[in-house]
Amino acid sequence: MANPMEQFKIETIAPISAGGFDLSFTNSSLWMLIALITVAAFLFIGTARPQLVPGRMQAAVELLYDFIRDMLRENVGKEGLKYAPLIFAVFVFVLACNLLGMVPFVHSFTPTSHIAVTFALAMIVFVLVVAVGFARHGLHFFSLFLPEGTPLFVAPLVAAIEFLSFLSRPFTLAIRLFANMTAGHVLMKVFGGFVVSLGAVNVGLGIIPLGVNVALTALELLIAVVQAYVFALLASIYLNDAVNLH
Amino acid sequence: MPQFDPANFASQMFWFGVFFTLLYVVVVRPTLPKVGRVIEARETQVAGDLDRAEAAKATADTLRATHEAAMKAARDAAQAEVAKARDAAAKAADTQMKALAAKLDADAEAAATRLAAARTAARASLETTVADLTSEAVAKLAGITVTPADVSSALANR
Repeated sequence: MANPMEQFKIETIAPISAGGFDLSFTNSSLWMLIALITVAAFLFIGTARPQLVPGRMQAAVELLYDFIRDMLRENVGKEGLKYAPLIFAVFVFVLACNLLGMVPFVHSFTPTSHIAVTFALAMIVFVLVVAVGFARHGLHFFSLFLPEGTPLFVAPLVAAIEFLSFLSRPFTLAIRLFANMTAGHVLMKVFGGFVVSLGAVNVGLGIIPLGVNVALTALELLIAVVQAYVFALLASIYLNDAVNLH
Repeated sequence: MPQFDPANFASQMFWFGVFFTLLYVVVVRPTLPKVGRVIEARETQVAGDLDRAEAAKATADTLRATHEAAMKAARDAAQAEVAKARDAAAKAADTQMKALAAKLDADAEAAATRLAAARTAARASLETTVADLTSEAVAKLAGITVTPADVSSALANR
């Protein structure tokens, strides 16, 4: 039975190295490139000739874009709408990586199951929040760490806790996505292994884990979408802190 | 787990940076605002259409109100006309009736007067005839000459 961790192995396709770093083009890079091309095709076709009465592809693009805009309007307010393209890019990139990792038979790889990628994504959000916060409020942005009405004698403690929780955001954001994708894929692989090992004992027995895997596939597709949504939702909630200071 | 092998972090982050930058700068930035503009244009158009529909409805309401007022006025005028005509006709009929009744009364009065005169005349002529006959009868039977005037006064004195 194949090791369930084998699917996460980074395989070098074209070795590149620069400045002492290994920057090889790998299977992870390849699937990020495929995600990029998929999203590009979707967006370029969908916005080729924007019309007042949209065609199918334009309606699909609008649906996604409206979804992100509504999320920002709800969590940040009108001010947040100008960040819609960036949040949209984060959302579709995560969504495309998650979903493409589910394609069977093509040796697919899920870049978002690697913490390096999810952390880089989370850092984009974190840097955006910090940059927007300081650009809008200057040093007053630090008042974010001291919620209004905090009694003075607990203020240092509260500020320390708030600061730590703020700093931990990119990590929780990164780990949530990576852990969800990894765990789901491991689970599918484990049950896939069961199909083979139990099927070898008795073909009828192999049907049970196969059925479970069918259900797991549906669940994984759901998780792929939900985690992309959660990532974008948390990004917009964090952005609200930067824009409105609670 | 390959996820915790720092050896491949640099490559992953590098290529992520490259592809995400491409995604944002080359794909999302040029395309998405187009859709945003279309969405806004559509919202404007829909709002404009709704406003125009509202205005058209207001105009229609006004027109209907005007029409109804005109209809009501016309109906009232017609009714007033009919009532006036009816009153006039009734009044004319009344006048004619009264005139006719007066004429009939006058005729009856005249007839009654003529009748009374005729009766009086008849009675007077009857008395004259009776006096004449009496005087003639007395002259023939008793041979006494009595004038009709005497007979008349004798009758009147009785």
